[in-house]
Amino acid sequence: MHDIHVVDLSRLQFALTALYHYLFVPLTLGMSFLLAAMETVYVTTGREIYKKITQFWSKLFLINFALGVATGLTMEFEFGTNWSFYSSFVGDIFGAPLAIEGLMAFFMESTFVGLMVFGWGRLRRGQHLAVTYLVALGSNLSALWILIANSFMQAPTGAHFNPVTMRMELTSLSDLIFSHDAQAKFVHTSIAGYVTAAIFVAGVSAWYLLKNRHTELARRSFRMAVLFGALATVGVITLGDALGFVGAQAQPTKLAAMEGLWKTEPAPMPFNLVAFPSQQEHVNRGAIQVPYVLSLLVTHSLTGSVPGFDQLEQQATARIRDGIPAVAALQTLSAKPNDADALAQFQAHEKDLGYGFLLQRYAPDVTAATDAEVADAARDAIPQVAPVFWSFRVMVVLGLAMLAYFVMAVIYTMRNRVERKRWFLKLAVWMIPVPFLANEAGWLVAELGRQPWTVYGMLPTWMSASTHSVGYMAFSLIGFVTLYTVFIAIEMYLMVRTIRRGPDDDHAGVIPHDRLHADRLAGYAEG
Amino acid sequence: MRTFMQFLLFMVLAIAVIVLAILLGDMGAWYFAWLVGTAMIVLIAAAGGVLLDTQDEHAAARRAAASADAR
Repeated sequence: MHDIHVVDLSRLQFALTALYHYLFVPLTLGMSFLLAAMETVYVTTGREIYKKITQFWSKLFLINFALGVATGLTMEFEFGTNWSFYSSFVGDIFGAPLAIEGLMAFFMESTFVGLMVFGWGRLRRGQHLAVTYLVALGSNLSALWILIANSFMQAPTGAHFNPVTMRMELTSLSDLIFSHDAQAKFVHTSIAGYVTAAIFVAGVSAWYLLKNRHTELARRSFRMAVLFGALATVGVITLGDALGFVGAQAQPTKLAAMEGLWKTEPAPMPFNLVAFPSQQEHVNRGAIQVPYVLSLLVTHSLTGSVPGFDQLEQQATARIRDGIPAVAALQTLSAKPNDADALAQFQAHEKDLGYGFLLQRYAPDVTAATDAEVADAARDAIPQVAPVFWSFRVMVVLGLAMLAYFVMAVIYTMRNRVERKRWFLKLAVWMIPVPFLANEAGWLVAELGRQPWTVYGMLPTWMSASTHSVGYMAFSLIGFVTLYTVFIAIEMYLMVRTIRRGPDDDHAGVIPHDRLHADRLAGYAEG
Repeated sequence: MRTFMQFLLFMVLAIAVIVLAILLGDMGAWYFAWLVGTAMIVLIAAAGGVLLDTQDEHAAARRAAASADAR
């Protein structure tokens, strides 16, 4: 029997390492394509300023990339060290995308990053541009595979449980890769990275414009970043909706937690704009609702309805009872693999095996479980609502704020007047943390909302962890937090130092542009 | 010969894109949307940079013409 404190500490450790890691990832995903856009202008127009722009932002990209790789490596090992049962249970499915992700990251991405950094002056323009595009593609394809693996945990497809080997096995690689959840999640996550990079580049450029430093680099970077970010934000919101739509089918409990839906209501359902969910009493306090909106958002119709926790708990109870014979048959099969009766019993109840596992936490011998133990297990099928509910709202509000910011930014930059809007430049600098917070909130929704499962409906979290001691987990947790905090401090220091220094030999080769800028300022002074 | 090689390259690219669209479109639209969308976002951002240069050059030319007229 697992010590639940060890499970909680394992969850906390993975959550913290993932949240730390994810401070670096989105910038890599987005910055790589933004660099490709900058270098495309350099190659197509031949203007040296764009080479300088690309090289300057490449430095920041590299700092971020190095720390992203360092923080990501440990997570791959955590699956084996802290989640060994999970790894053995779904390793046949989870291992393949994880291995491909490693190949993408360490062979394609890292190789081409080396060429990108050291290739200036060694490769022809077109060749270097191709390398930059391959870095961008490699970064994002690396993310694709880890997100495919994550999507299997959210909505398992393309696999089945083999009662003889006692583990899940892959039945269709294409079902795994092309699952609706994987597609929507990858695009949503990748494009959220574009938004992050765009806000970062625009914010740093705005800081230069406020300080009247490196203005030619900053004006161009700002323009390109806001166009990049505006389009990407539209994409993120579209894909957020798609992901919600997919999630409504695949993970109804997550959707109910996101919306604070304790009771099933008839269509058209109202949307809880603000509420304070009470897990004990199964009610929302201080709810402010907008009529009709939930049905529209989740089902894209006014007649659609989604189940609340009252209905979902009843369904979980029924599935737990149906899962009892499956677990019992599995116990028989583990002792006698050729028992035909046990195999038939297992196959008849296989779809609810995971729910039987939920009950095992309270009743190791599931056949002797009491009604109270079944009710406890059914209550466990509901995630902690308040953190999911509020993380979702934080993500959405920040997403809409970024959209409004980019719309304003596009208007100002297309009028070529952004330098005169000092209040907006200050806002752009303050916007830098916003996408990072939105990204973290998004992952909290995805992972907290999936609870109590590591593989939704198949494998409960309580079973998935390794059997470490509390002391071991606490020690390694403190170690990781300390190490990763140092990493963040190093990243911040290097980033700030590089930004303060700006691009090297600032005025080389760009005199005509600086003159143009001086002319423009003279033009403003003349009105 | 160079023009022909370029034509060949772009034809291969175009056919590859069409085949990808058909294959990926059948299996799920979002991956394909990402490919097309990312290309579009990158190119529009690049065009934005070029447009800025053009705007600057036009503004400078206008000011130069205005100051010449004033003289």
